Amino acid sequence: MDLELVQRVKAGDKKAFDVLIMKYQQRIVHVITGFVHDPVEALDVAQEAFIKAYRAIPNFRGDSAFYTWLYRIAINTAKNYLTAKARRPPAMDVDAMDATNYYDAPELKEFETPESKLVSDELQHVIHQAIESLPEDTATAIKLRELEGMSYEDISQVMDCPIGTVRSRIFRARGAIEKKIQETMKEGEQQ
Amino acid sequence: MTINLNELLSALVDDELQGDELAQALTLIHSDEQFKQQWLSYQHASDILHGHSVGPQNNDLTGLIAQRLRDEPSYLLKPQAAKLSTFAPQIWKQAASLAVAASIGALAVVGVINQPDGQLVPRPQLTVAENLQPVIAARNGKRWAIGEQDIEQRLNTYLVDHNEYTGASGVFSYARVVSYDAGQ
Repeated sequence: MDLELVQRVKAGDKKAFDVLIMKYQQRIVHVITGFVHDPVEALDVAQEAFIKAYRAIPNFRGDSAFYTWLYRIAINTAKNYLTAKARRPPAMDVDAMDATNYYDAPELKEFETPESKLVSDELQHVIHQAIESLPEDTATAIKLRELEGMSYEDISQVMDCPIGTVRSRIFRARGAIEKKIQETMKEGEQQ
Repeated sequence: MTINLNELLSALVDDELQGDELAQALTLIHSDEQFKQQWLSYQHASDILHGHSVGPQNNDLTGLIAQRLRDEPSYLLKPQAAKLSTFAPQIWKQAASLAVAASIGALAVVGVINQPDGQLVPRPQLTVAENLQPVIAARNGKRWAIGEQDIEQRLNTYLVDHNEYTGASGVFSYARVVSYDAGQ
């Protein structure tokens, strides 16, 4: 799907690029925060990285996944930013091939603040709770998708049901998860 | 109706849309703020689950970036055109290398051995010395048997140089055509 969005951008559809931004902004901001440490600066650097990606997109040939390509741009932008500010970039590097699993990289984990780690863990816990409270078929569908990374087609084979059913089960699961997150956030605001 | 559209947005998070459905989802996101927020919400939950997001705040950079990209040109590249534009210079570069190699090879062949009936005649500067036998080379299959060691040495040196050039420019197959013996 990313490739189709990229083709649309190349064909003059700037809005398709907005979708790529919306899709990857959280990941990119998170990765960059691991380098610059300051969340506000990370947003600026992320903006810069997306602008660079837009300018370079005619050269994107699809040899790698779009996110891997974007990830490299983000890392380079963050490093250049630190160099320009006369701050030493982290000595470690995360292989672009591991980009989709970067959150497992201990080198980046150590830059999380205790507060952000707490919030992150809390929200993950809420989501897992929401999944466990779902009917079994719905819970299985969302687990196979989000935790195992399986495609709808593969899930339909595993669960022996049509792809359309998989799609609606995952949609229902997302609705329940969203509701649970909103409840938790409201409770947090009241306390 | 709304439920089906939200289902479309959920599938968008999972990269499971193509063609018309993808176009429909894009229109939905760009035409209705509520649908856009709904999609961002699904995406955010997915990001949290994967550890891609550290908090509840959902910073949307699209507005700021779109503002900065307003003055940037929209691309009008078609994939085929993009491929051709990178392919064409390589073709010209290889053709030019081949032409250079061919002309050098042709000059060498014409200048050193130019006898239609398969016989080589001595070049003038090689025959003026007294008491020297004429240098004669005869063609035997692919191999030129050259009587004069000096000429053969020069020819070999030339072919080695030529091979080194063609090795760098990617026309090795042509170099085999102008060489006269694999063992030399």
